[in-house]
Parts: sequence; structure tokens; C-alpha cells
Amino acid sequence: MSKQLTAFARADERWGLRNHVLILPLHSALSATARKIADESDGAVAVSHDWSGEVDGDFDRIIKTFSGFAANPNNYATVFITIGTPGELLIIDLAKKLGINKAEVLNVAELGSMSKIAGAGLKIANSLVKEAKAQSRISAPWSAIALGQECGGSDALSGITANPALGVASDRLVELGAASVLGETTEILGAEHLLAARAITPEIGAQIIETVARYERSINYEGIDMRGAQPSRGNIEGGLTTLEEKSLGAAKKAGSAQFSGVLEYADQVPKSGLYFMDTPGHDTEQLTGFAAGGINVVVFTTGRGTPTGSAIMPTIKLATNTTMASAIPDLIDLNAGTIADGIKTLAEVGGELFDLILAVANGQITKAERGLHHEFSLSRMYNTVIK
Amino acid sequence: MTDNRKILILNELDNIAVCLVNMEVGEVIRQDALNLTIQNRIPRGHKVATKAIAKDDGIIKYGERMGHATSDIKIGEHVHTHNVLGDRLSTEQVNMEQKN
Repeated sequence: MSKQLTAFARADERWGLRNHVLILPLHSALSATARKIADESDGAVAVSHDWSGEVDGDFDRIIKTFSGFAANPNNYATVFITIGTPGELLIIDLAKKLGINKAEVLNVAELGSMSKIAGAGLKIANSLVKEAKAQSRISAPWSAIALGQECGGSDALSGITANPALGVASDRLVELGAASVLGETTEILGAEHLLAARAITPEIGAQIIETVARYERSINYEGIDMRGAQPSRGNIEGGLTTLEEKSLGAAKKAGSAQFSGVLEYADQVPKSGLYFMDTPGHDTEQLTGFAAGGINVVVFTTGRGTPTGSAIMPTIKLATNTTMASAIPDLIDLNAGTIADGIKTLAEVGGELFDLILAVANGQITKAERGLHHEFSLSRMYNTVIK
Repeated sequence: MTDNRKILILNELDNIAVCLVNMEVGEVIRQDALNLTIQNRIPRGHKVATKAIAKDDGIIKYGERMGHATSDIKIGEHVHTHNVLGDRLSTEQVNMEQKN
């Protein structure tokens, strides 16, 4: 099979693996209208959310999330639907600074009724979809791929089948010049010193340690002791012996490449190398942060068959066990359970996954995309304050 | 495609492998360069020593150290909480040490 990557060229050497027209409401009350526009259009996508412009402790994090999500290179264009608050204007401004390919703004205050917004939105959406369909993929370098690593609904096999198979594919992509990102700070707790030893500089290693320590301080503050609870009785029965072992299993998604840097939630991902992003363990919050960071394809390892996907990032589901993969074939793109069945080797499944990532990057539709799993979730760290 | 395997070696540096089926005492595993005899009953998903491990030596899985042996471990022996401790203590363990 061809190993040639093709993608949609954007400004600043950014590349889209999809050519979406995103309808993005910037106030919770506009979510229904955004969805209506997308549903009635010739292929635009929309997300819903619950932010109503609150200026509180999470304001910067939310502004960063929306602007990055809108500017993700998988979007040919983003149609912002706004009521005209300063926060909304800040989001649009930041998205432009991040190199958004095409931005359109519909303002409720100017257009008046929701039906006028819906009518104008549909017209713009369809015209943008037509433009997007006319754009062709061209030959792209490996740095066009920014891969996100995610695990959800883990089981006793995650650390020995799907996660290390993803590690094999990630290592190969990083070696070729792509970017790959490990997230979920909760999941590396207890193995951070081992990951820090793989950092390209001692400073980056210290940042990995500090990111986990900061997270640990925040949960200690809430009175939760993660360390004492891990590995759990169920983990030990499943064969996991130490905390390091459990976290190494989760971190195996990142293979054995060196870490080139640590990113805050929704930071823009550099073009090449392996990175760690400080994201929450919550699947949808983490995926939304990845998308806001410019990640354009995700591999999601799962033991239970979590259906979660994204409106703009193709999300490949890699099963950890054959029983689940056979039970829900409409959700699973590839089964790594064959490693535990003794049928295939890690290297073989890692190679199959690499080929699948390339095929999906080139346009092959994932099960999550076919199923319209367009989940979106804002990550909050403080109480919401209405001012 | 390879023959059905009974154990999974995750990294060539490892001194353990993961059992893919329940193992019985005396079972002989000949796979790749390995030739070992199972010393205890080992459940599926648990670890077996593929090299002799001395007390205090590191347990290497995925090519990384995941803890250390609390007693000598023979090739073919079950490697788990009875003969391994993490290098990194849990908060619970730290609290207990501080009390002592």
C-alpha cells in the first residue's frame, strides 16, 4: 500500500487531515441554532456547550479552548455565532492569531431573530462546504500529522495490547517527523520519574515531574488520595503489582521516544516530536483540549468500547481485547486483542495501526466519524461565577 | 502471523513476561529464545520471571524499572506483590513509615 500522505494545505505550514466547516456557537443559548444549521447543511459540523460568557477563574482556559478549537487545521472554515460580548470578540481575535483558515461571524444583535440567524447561517455554511469540497489534497510532509493519544475504559489488557501497539505506531511517526502527544496527567501518576528520564533536557524532565506534583497538590487539597488507592485490588487481581507498572502501562501509548516538551492544556502543539500535555483524565475534556492544541488525528485505546469522538478530529478506536471488539464492531476500527490471543505480535499490530493512521489521515472515515460522535466538553478548574 | 503464544515479552530488556493463559506448575515454555519451566500456578495477565532476579534487583517491564525484588526470584516463578515492591511508595506507605 502507498505510504504517501496527502492533506489540505493551510497557512504557516499547517495541514488539515479533514476539511470541515465548523458552526461554533459562542454562547450556550446559541447551541441549538448552531446544531440546526449543521444538521440542515450539506455537511457542516457543530458542537454544543454550556458556556454563557462567565468571566471567572476559568475564563482564560475557556477562551483558549474555543479559539484553538476554531483554528484547528482540520477546519476549512469556522462560522462563529455570537451575541457580541467582549469574550466572544477575544475568541475570534485569538483564532485569527492562531492562523484560522477562514472565519465568518454571525451576530445575533445585528441579525435579530434566531430564524434569521439560522437562515443566514445555512446559506453561509452551504457556500463554505461547496468551497471546501472543491479544495484538493496535496502531498504533505509527515509533520502534517499531529497525533493525540487517548485511553478510555481501560482494562487489564490495556497496558499489554492496545497501549504498547499505539506506542509502536507513535514511535514510528515521531521518527518520521510527525508530532505525537500523551495526555492525562492522572494516568502517569507514579511513573512520572520514569517519563522524566526520557526528556531531551533535564529542564523538560523537571517540568514533567512538576506537572504531576501540581496535579497531586490539587487533589490532595480536595482530600482525595490517588496514590493510596492505586493499584486497586482489581488491578492486583488482574496482575498489576506496583503503581509504576500501572502508570507505565498507560504511558506506553507514548512508546519509547524522548519527550521534547511539556504543554499546558490546549497549548499549540509543535510540528514534530513527542510531547506531554497536562490534560484531565475525563475523555471528552481531554479530546477537546487536544483539538484546541491543533491535534488533527487521535488514537483512542479502549477496553470497554467507549464511543466518544470529536466533531473535527478523526478518532481511531483501538480495542484492547477481542471479546469487546467482536461484540461492538460498529465502534472499533482495529483490534489489538489479537496480541493477548497469541495470534499477532506487538510489532504486527503496531504496523497495522500505523497503516490505519495513514489511511485515516488520507481521508478514510473512522467508526466514530460515521457514528457522528461529536462530543465536546469544556474543562473547568474553578467554581462557575456569574457576574 | 505467528503461532499462538503463551507468554508476551514486551521489551527485550525485560526480565519478566506476561502470561497470556493460566499456567500450571511444570509447564514448559519454548518460545523465541526462551526455554523455561513454570514454577507456580500463574493466572492469565500475571507476570513470570524470564531471567533469574536477585533480591533488590529491578523488575524490568516495557524496558523500564517498575519496582524491585524483595527476595531472589527463579526463572519461571510468579512475579507479583509477594516478591516485588514498587520503588515509589504510595502516600499510604509514606504515612505509615512516618508513624514508625
